[in-house]
Amino acid sequence: MASRKKTQELLKGLYNAVVFYDEKAAAELSKVALEESIDAYTAITDGLAAGMKKVGELYAAQEYFVPELLLCSDALYAGLGVLRPHIKVKQAKVKAQIVIGVVEGDIHDIGKNLVKVMFDAAGWIVHDLGKDVKLEKFVEEQQRTNSEIVGLSTLMTTSMLAIPKVIKMIRSQSTNVGIMVGGAPLTRDIAKRYGADGYAENAGTAVQEGVRLVEMLKKRKAQK
Amino acid sequence: MELRQDKMTSQERIKALFNYQKPDRVPIGNLGIPIKTQGLTQRFPGFNVVSNYNDPRRAFYASLWTAKYYNWELVVHSFAHTILGGWDFGGEIQMPDKEYQDSLSIKSTPVKTEKDIRNLKMPNPKTAGGIPMAMEFSKLQGENNLPVWFFSRSPFCVASNICGSEQFCRWMIKKPDLCRRLLRMATDHIFNVLQYWIDTFSAENIFLEISSPNESNQLISPKQFTEFAFPYHIELQKKLRTMGIRRFFFHICGDQNLNLPYLAELSSLWVHPSILSFGHEVDLEVAGKYFPKDIIFGNIEPAVFQAGTAQQVYELCKVAIEKGKRLSGGFMLGPGCGLPPMSQVENVLAMTKAVDNLGWYE
Repeated sequence: MASRKKTQELLKGLYNAVVFYDEKAAAELSKVALEESIDAYTAITDGLAAGMKKVGELYAAQEYFVPELLLCSDALYAGLGVLRPHIKVKQAKVKAQIVIGVVEGDIHDIGKNLVKVMFDAAGWIVHDLGKDVKLEKFVEEQQRTNSEIVGLSTLMTTSMLAIPKVIKMIRSQSTNVGIMVGGAPLTRDIAKRYGADGYAENAGTAVQEGVRLVEMLKKRKAQK
Repeated sequence: MELRQDKMTSQERIKALFNYQKPDRVPIGNLGIPIKTQGLTQRFPGFNVVSNYNDPRRAFYASLWTAKYYNWELVVHSFAHTILGGWDFGGEIQMPDKEYQDSLSIKSTPVKTEKDIRNLKMPNPKTAGGIPMAMEFSKLQGENNLPVWFFSRSPFCVASNICGSEQFCRWMIKKPDLCRRLLRMATDHIFNVLQYWIDTFSAENIFLEISSPNESNQLISPKQFTEFAFPYHIELQKKLRTMGIRRFFFHICGDQNLNLPYLAELSSLWVHPSILSFGHEVDLEVAGKYFPKDIIFGNIEPAVFQAGTAQQVYELCKVAIEKGKRLSGGFMLGPGCGLPPMSQVENVLAMTKAVDNLGWYE
């Protein structure tokens, strides 16, 4: 069992590995953490995920841009790959589930991938459908996983036309689901007009919006 | 169609603009064809989004007709991209033939690994990618006494397109030399193809457009811009001078507010006035301050043409015209990026109506 000081050092090391996008260090320190019997869940939440939260702040402050975010996410996943199999089942408190994907007709997925990282880091279960996703696939996956949230991404003005259509399709099958959208041509106003419950301007604000929607669903359920 | 008080022809209007004289009214420009345009599909049966990428003849005549219908000046007139990057260097492309697609995309990039870069060959400047079709379009422009358009992504964007934006972003930090190798090849390819255009049409007839979406600060930092994009812009501008290109159009795509000081520095190298097109993310007054000697083009948010109302487009145009009329280098009203092909007809017409009501110079 690692001493308190050693534990803090390792957690800080994991945090720094993500913030300073050191993929190798993230994997190695994760192994050391396990060797030192540091709880895998703690290593993720207080080390890797805390680092990713800081990365989100740096992105919002325009100190980090997409290249840094991509490398930070590589470091995050390098650590998660080592630590995740060692999480004790009862610890793995799932915050919520999200089905995420880029809508049909659009192959631009950098934004969606970054949003996925943020949800992963925040402890959500992410069902990533990828890019150029058939609209019915969103409906099927939400039904299959009973996910609280569906996240729809688009970069192109033409593929954004699929957004209102898929929102209607999802709602026709499930009333208790929050739908959030994001991507360059969308605005909060357009998102609302298209029938979405939420909108995230960038990856940095996506989790916050997801949490808001989960709270909204809970309230809605309580009122029934 | 003429507007109520038109006192100039489109050609006279553009000529005035390039001579720093006030035209009769704010000129209107376009970046793309709204496919839903009334009458377009009747006149050009089967014309669709894909036609813009694989049928230069129909795209040419459809764009002429559309420009006339909306009263656009034909100053911006291109066929897709002369140079895209991934396609030219051997990547697999996907035509926009599905319901929700509006642009050509790279299905498989020619470079996936470091090893692929070592094996990468320079493309044939006459036959690679969509170059033969762009040449056919340019020849039609020449035959119709229009400026011959040469439309390339910037070296940074072409290079990113060869290996994919995500990979390029990662390499910028982890393996910058690989990016520089791609940038070198991308820049040389642009010059090679441009030389082919010059040999065919001569430099003075060519209107050169560069677009730079991957350089936006929604993707990269100003530091990355100065390291990986800026030096190649400088090289490009210097070469354009020696090649004798006199007309330059720069689509500074997306949010490039943090890059503006560097682009302003770069502007000392290009011919004035050039036309600089901005996305809605850059305020027109800010653009005018950075580039007082150039014609500012823009910057109505494209998505509003498709998802908004005619009134919303009109209001945005009103603000743009008020600001644009005060710009020292001149102004053209137009969308901030490619006009969505599924734009509502009445929304596109709102741009013309706004100029008819508010765009006259005293």
